[in-house]
Amino acid sequence: MSSVEAVITSIQGLSSSSSDLSALHDVLKGASESLRTDSDLQLSTLDQLDPSKHSLGYLYLLDVLTCGPVPREKASDVVLLISRFINACDAVQIRLASEKFVSLCKRFKDKVLELRDPLRGVAPLLTAVRKVQVSTKRLTALHPDCLQLCLQAKCYKAGFSVLSDDILEVDQPRDFYLYCYYGGMICIGLKRFQKALELLYNVVTAPMHVVNAIALEAYKKYILVTLIHSGQFSINLPKCASTAAKSNFKSWSTPYIEVGSCYNDGKISELEAVVVANSSDFEKDNNLGLVKQAVASLYKRNILRLTQKYLTLSLQDIANMVQLANAKEAEMHVLQMIKDGQIHALINQKDGMVRFLEDPEQYKTSEMIEIMDSVIQRTIGLSKNLLAMDESLSCDPLYLGKVGRERQRYDFGDDFDTVPQKFSM
Amino acid sequence: MAPSSSSGLTFKLHPLVMLNISDHFTRVKTQLNPPSSSCATRNIPTTVGAGAATSPQNVRVYGCVIGAQRGRTVEIFNSFELVFDPSSDSLDRSFLEKKQELYQKVFPGFYVLGWYSTGSEANESDMHIHKALMDINESPVYVLLNPAINHAQKDLPVTIYESEFHVIDGIAQPIFVNASYTIETVEAERISVDHVAHLKPSDGGSAATQLAAHLTGIHSAIKMLNSRIRVLFQYLVAMQRGDIPCDNSLLRQAASLLRSLPAAHSEKFDDNFLMEYNDKLLMSYLAMITNCTSNMNEVVDKVKTAYAKKSRTGGSRIPFM
Repeated sequence: MSSVEAVITSIQGLSSSSSDLSALHDVLKGASESLRTDSDLQLSTLDQLDPSKHSLGYLYLLDVLTCGPVPREKASDVVLLISRFINACDAVQIRLASEKFVSLCKRFKDKVLELRDPLRGVAPLLTAVRKVQVSTKRLTALHPDCLQLCLQAKCYKAGFSVLSDDILEVDQPRDFYLYCYYGGMICIGLKRFQKALELLYNVVTAPMHVVNAIALEAYKKYILVTLIHSGQFSINLPKCASTAAKSNFKSWSTPYIEVGSCYNDGKISELEAVVVANSSDFEKDNNLGLVKQAVASLYKRNILRLTQKYLTLSLQDIANMVQLANAKEAEMHVLQMIKDGQIHALINQKDGMVRFLEDPEQYKTSEMIEIMDSVIQRTIGLSKNLLAMDESLSCDPLYLGKVGRERQRYDFGDDFDTVPQKFSM
Repeated sequence: MAPSSSSGLTFKLHPLVMLNISDHFTRVKTQLNPPSSSCATRNIPTTVGAGAATSPQNVRVYGCVIGAQRGRTVEIFNSFELVFDPSSDSLDRSFLEKKQELYQKVFPGFYVLGWYSTGSEANESDMHIHKALMDINESPVYVLLNPAINHAQKDLPVTIYESEFHVIDGIAQPIFVNASYTIETVEAERISVDHVAHLKPSDGGSAATQLAAHLTGIHSAIKMLNSRIRVLFQYLVAMQRGDIPCDNSLLRQAASLLRSLPAAHSEKFDDNFLMEYNDKLLMSYLAMITNCTSNMNEVVDKVKTAYAKKSRTGGSRIPFM
């Protein structure tokens, strides 16, 4: 029908400069309703357009084509088309219609999951995230989708590359919760427990009025990861968690809290008993693997405790104190810990004695200089960001209004310049 | 003006002369247009050696330089101000002689070597003054200070001109030729120049400003050293590549410079050096963290003020979120 062709020609004509693009945008917005009901619009009509040059128009047409239900055979064609489009499209044009792009990508993700082939979607979504992002410090709605696909496809490294940017601005809290939760899971998969802890901590202490499910799941994982990483468990949430979280999380995650308190006592057998008792709950939450890792880490924590009390110890004694089966296993554990750098020790195999040493790091090597330098640079960057935030807050009318109201109370005499009591906003 | 001198004289300039000239110029300029604009134009008595001109930028000051000449070396030690007579476009002769007598009594070894002025270039009218001085000294020198501040320029804006007779249009005319000079200092001069270069804040400053001033000084010194070394390095690399013809004397100088560097390469030295370096880095890291924490504190205070909800009793606020 003529409207489809008219749209196609206008797309081809108006895709060159930015002023043309805004005109095209208006045309497309007006035409999208009529295109939806147009039966002439097929996947094949898209062949007339070039995704890298006519990205905006291509996006609109794709959106119209995919918003309805797509039959099964066509699903993989659509997926292929969308992934090609994402790879080829022009970032500037896309950002003009970013919500459409985001919803298109979400639909893409759903289709990929339907086809049970998440690996196909990982690379396109990674490029999509980079293209939609206005700056590397902004969280988009696509970040959690990308991470979800990476989790499903078990390619953790790709997900980790998304996580390595520092996020400073967030549009939607839900995106933030999901991002941190999935990010935490990816870090657990990569065994980077420190970063996982940071991300999960962010979710647990994020401001929220009402308890939401994401934060609750994150809290359960958070407990387990603290056990694995630092060997401590405190029943109270960190002080900065929201009041809603503080009052409600505990009631929903009792088996985990039991595990945590049992861990604190340090007895392996009791811990295992608790785990077995609650294993159905853990299975339901898909956390059984993590719980088993936590149990394994109890040995490590106990050995670590021993280094603080003794200077030398025989392997048999270690095995007895930590409730391991025999000296051989103790040796394995100690060896593993030395390799991971968790303890510093010397194993004398002749008489089976282990001598615990101090941390030999003298902080006077040139590698240490590089580490320090990079850390200092990072802190300087952070300080700059904070200063920028401070300045923007000082200009915030909400802040200025409250400050003006407060200053009236302190009367310092004539030499205190009067601030108007109310800013008329 | 462009050709360089061929008289074979080496000139040595003392910093005192430059300080005198710049002080003279600054004084006159400030007197001509005082900082507070409430005072209108003031009549400047022409007995102070000011070169009267309309706009303040064209103020020219004139004076005489004195020093000693030993053989082929001309050393310019001191200077004094002179009166400029704008009507006859020459310096006041009697005043000059009077001052010269006085200075002769105090510094017996110094003679009038020439004269100085300020400006960007030497021009024709200066030649009259130059000729007038020729009966005191057969070949006087002309020291020109350019008072325009140019941050890009790294060298001193002082040029020394000599006069030579060149044949132009068939007539032998004296023109100014550029002469190279070096800076020579006496110990007392070095101390005072150092002091002027590091002007401390007048109220003694807190420890922080003094430390900042000290560190800034070190920073600029190291920056200059770095740029000079870089220039040398690029020069040597270019020589190695063959872009520039090999200059053996320069290579020898560079080699001797390198050999005079401290040669402590023992392991203990490296150890101690790295340890001190790391200690300093740790201290600056601590300072950065403290800075960050204080910034964070400010931000948190502002956020609390702006967004915290006040409880209805008006007492303590409920915690944020």
